Amino acid sequence: MSDLLKTPLFDAHVALGGKIVAFAGYELPVQYKNGALKEYTAVREGAAGIFDITHMGQVRVEGVEALKFLQYVTTNDVSKLVDGQVQYSALLNEQGTFIDDITTYKINNEAYYLCINAANRHKDVAHLQKEAANFDVIVSDESDETTLLALQGAKAQAVLQTLTDIDLEAVGYYKFSEGNILGQHGIISRTGYTGEDGFEIYIPNTVAVDVWNALLEQEAVPIGLAARDMLRTEMGYALYGHEISDSVTPVEAKLMWITKLDKGDFIGKAAVEARKSEGAKKRLIALKLIERGIPREHYKVFVNGIESGEVTSGMHSPMAGGVALAYVMPKHATEGDVSIEIRGKQVPAERTPLPFVRSNVKK
Amino acid sequence: MSIPADLKYTKEHEWVRIEGDIATFGVSDHAQEALGDIVFVELPEIGRTVGVAEAYAVVESVKAVSDIYAPVAGEIIEVNEALEGEPEKMNTEPYGAGWIAKVKMSGGSDELMSDDEYTTFLEE
Repeated sequence: MSDLLKTPLFDAHVALGGKIVAFAGYELPVQYKNGALKEYTAVREGAAGIFDITHMGQVRVEGVEALKFLQYVTTNDVSKLVDGQVQYSALLNEQGTFIDDITTYKINNEAYYLCINAANRHKDVAHLQKEAANFDVIVSDESDETTLLALQGAKAQAVLQTLTDIDLEAVGYYKFSEGNILGQHGIISRTGYTGEDGFEIYIPNTVAVDVWNALLEQEAVPIGLAARDMLRTEMGYALYGHEISDSVTPVEAKLMWITKLDKGDFIGKAAVEARKSEGAKKRLIALKLIERGIPREHYKVFVNGIESGEVTSGMHSPMAGGVALAYVMPKHATEGDVSIEIRGKQVPAERTPLPFVRSNVKK
Repeated sequence: MSIPADLKYTKEHEWVRIEGDIATFGVSDHAQEALGDIVFVELPEIGRTVGVAEAYAVVESVKAVSDIYAPVAGEIIEVNEALEGEPEKMNTEPYGAGWIAKVKMSGGSDELMSDDEYTTFLEE
């Protein structure tokens, strides 16, 4: 594991009984000593769960053409953002397929902050810096200096408020504020990947351990990667490498809502328009098993007895049972009897709206 | 780590309790801890015959799917249906309520370890 990176909280994870695995180039805890199910339950049932997601990357975009640049390299309409607002978006290539999905933070007209996936960081930064050559902007990779924590669950606001002078009540859904967190400058946004109310906290590495410990003292519950994946899958949130990748466009991935074809030119636009008019190659759907079983990634999906696609994320939801996100042929997205093949057996499933369980985000 | 003295163990971390020609199968405390939270158990059909080290059940934890292997050969005569509703019993009581199946033995196995041998095996 020598090539793997450690976050500033690595020793803290080990001390808490974290079972360390390799994930996106980092050594991260898949679970702590009480196990993933208890962690999941803590977040869903009212605690404040704390996640070390420092592996995610952060990129600052500054300059007089920052808006123009981001309109060109991201899919969503950045001109719609007000200062202090966050937007879910994506980076596409010229083929219209995903380089990454990202969040865009607007600090002001000439300064933005992007949060990107760990596994795509170097690819994203190289792409952004190459495109930046044509604009009056500076793209800086701040990932190595920044610790990112998520605090998610009904108690998140009360717990976090004890550490910061930012008035969290005033930070709305997909809004952020900059301020003082245990004496250091940081960013707090009301965003997350769990379907619960909560925050993501960007702080300098130097204060990471202090903030982590202070949150634990406020009875925040440490949550590993396994529970994080359960929580996001129950919401039907896309994960790069699963639902989205460089082989699908937003048309297939049900992400046209973040792809604004009417905002002017952007990388991948022509390809997305073409795909939209010729029709999706496959469609992402949500499935729930009718009988016992757990769908897993890459399990085959059959419709009317024909192999139609495969599961991209699947799990046992303590609340909803066996649930899956899957790609199927477009004609099977809404019609036909669906089953998922589990160890050679066809287990019947039904299409279901997302999320699989109720979301408690404060919109 | 609990390793009861009245059981035999395999290198795949299954345990077997042999009483006359009836053998009860389960997975060891070490195995359940390594698997993590068990959320699904696929039990074998009653009447099926299994060979030594043959996969006879499937256990799924939050993150992984694992085959469970028979420590000795025989015919499945009883399965722990309670695990279908409470698979977590394999985590909380691996040697008790977490048992998986009982077989009428058709032969033994040279590969089984005593509790002391299994303890040494785990340490290695």
